[in-house]
Amino acid sequence: MTRRRAVGGLARRRRAVALVAVTGLAAALAAGLVVAVSPRRAATAQEGAAVTVQRAHAGSATPSFKKRLVLLTIGSDSGAPKFGRGGSVESGRADALQLVVLDPAKRRGAVLSFPRDSYVPIPGHGTNKINAAMAFGGPPLLVATFERLTGLTIDYYALTSFDGLTDMVNKVGGVQVNVDMNLRDHFAGAFLDKGRRKLNGGQALAYARARKTLPGGDFDRSRHQGQLLLSGLGTFQRQVAENPAQVMTWLGVLRDEVRTDVPFPELLRLALLATKVPPSGFRNVPVPGAAGMAGGASVVHLQPSAYSLFGRIRSGKLS
Amino acid sequence: MIVPARRNPGRRLALVAGLLASLLLTALAAGCTKGGRSDSGGQATGTTAAPAAPAPALEVKLVAAAKVPPGGLSAKQAAQRAAPGLEKFLDRYLTEAYVEAAGGKADWNGLLGLFDTPVRASARSQLDALSLGAAAPQVSALRPSRASARAVVLYGAQRPQAATVRLAFDATADTAKGSGQVHLRSVLQLLATGEGWRIAAFDSRTGPPK
Repeated sequence: MTRRRAVGGLARRRRAVALVAVTGLAAALAAGLVVAVSPRRAATAQEGAAVTVQRAHAGSATPSFKKRLVLLTIGSDSGAPKFGRGGSVESGRADALQLVVLDPAKRRGAVLSFPRDSYVPIPGHGTNKINAAMAFGGPPLLVATFERLTGLTIDYYALTSFDGLTDMVNKVGGVQVNVDMNLRDHFAGAFLDKGRRKLNGGQALAYARARKTLPGGDFDRSRHQGQLLLSGLGTFQRQVAENPAQVMTWLGVLRDEVRTDVPFPELLRLALLATKVPPSGFRNVPVPGAAGMAGGASVVHLQPSAYSLFGRIRSGKLS
Repeated sequence: MIVPARRNPGRRLALVAGLLASLLLTALAAGCTKGGRSDSGGQATGTTAAPAAPAPALEVKLVAAAKVPPGGLSAKQAAQRAAPGLEKFLDRYLTEAYVEAAGGKADWNGLLGLFDTPVRASARSQLDALSLGAAAPQVSALRPSRASARAVVLYGAQRPQAATVRLAFDATADTAKGSGQVHLRSVLQLLATGEGWRIAAFDSRTGPPK
């Protein structure tokens, strides 16, 4: 009996210890669960178990234009106080004339460089040097002269001066140009060695003006002007590729240094489109002509091949 | 002899103490989990959407600089004037593209309306790079964690004309399978119109971190 009571007591003690152990275990388990489901732990667990919500997708786009764009760029010989040239920029003679034709869909185009002495009909003013058209009737008459000459509809013009060009180039930090010949032109102040050069504003203007010492005279000059335009495009693209905000820098410079009839929204769209049109997609084409005389003045007579070129451009053939 | 009378109170005491400890710990556990239960519920199953915390309000932190014409406002003044409108636009963009797109609620027309017409078709075909895109129906909720932008504004005589914005947006997206990170990194070229800002060009990437 005593032994049974002793055995029974031992069993009760074991049961008691077991109960305490189970209770403690349950408590520990509960405490563990509390820690496991506390908000901080939940967040950590969530991060660890992050799922891929979306695969990476990259995309880009610039404005799309449905039709061909034709822009007349004009360099005036007036409105440049820094070079001692008075008057307004719009009433001067247009000494640099490029017709930029762009096929936005194909992202290619042509720059037609016209000799300033091209002897052509000017609406209401007979036949004269093409650079006189702006002096007669400002940019609108020059545009009308080009439209009659080429049969192309000109969408916009952009006009600058000596001051405008030099300031523009300096403000964007210079332009990279592949100088295609050694230049020692005292008249234009162009002293450049052949090769790839970064030109400042003054050098760029000199490169665009040098004529008298060049073997091709006015034809070489107009070709250089087209080359400068495309070099500007290349410089713009390189800068924007490095820093997209450079689009704003260039637009600010254009706004301050260029007169244009391009409405600002269209100017922005064109600038954005220009980031995607490689300069190599453009042909720089000096319009064919031959030196001659008219009324005692030295002029350039456009050749029949020039009119064939205009026809090809009209039909959409840019290459 | 073996079971002294005095041992019985001790055994009872141990039992009572054990029960009390058990009750105490159970009560403690219940108290500790109170308020965190909704979090743990989603987490415990691991198969349902688990919004861990209320989504913080979307707020784009913008740093702006401006380019101004000669004789007008100073660059600092122009940037200050342009900033609120830009922030509002970027808030709206991120809301349309991500926050409100979650749960498949987006019809994208609101988002596409923020794009300039000549780039809208391209945007429509590249929604995955610009927004939650095709993943939107799988996302039950989206919690923004960071939205920051740096802008260079081209300021005209009276008002902003255009801007380049570098936009960074990070968020946590909840889906039926769990949660994951969504990141947007984009460069937006903006045009100021009479109806507010419009995206005229973009270079954008949406997805998990690289």
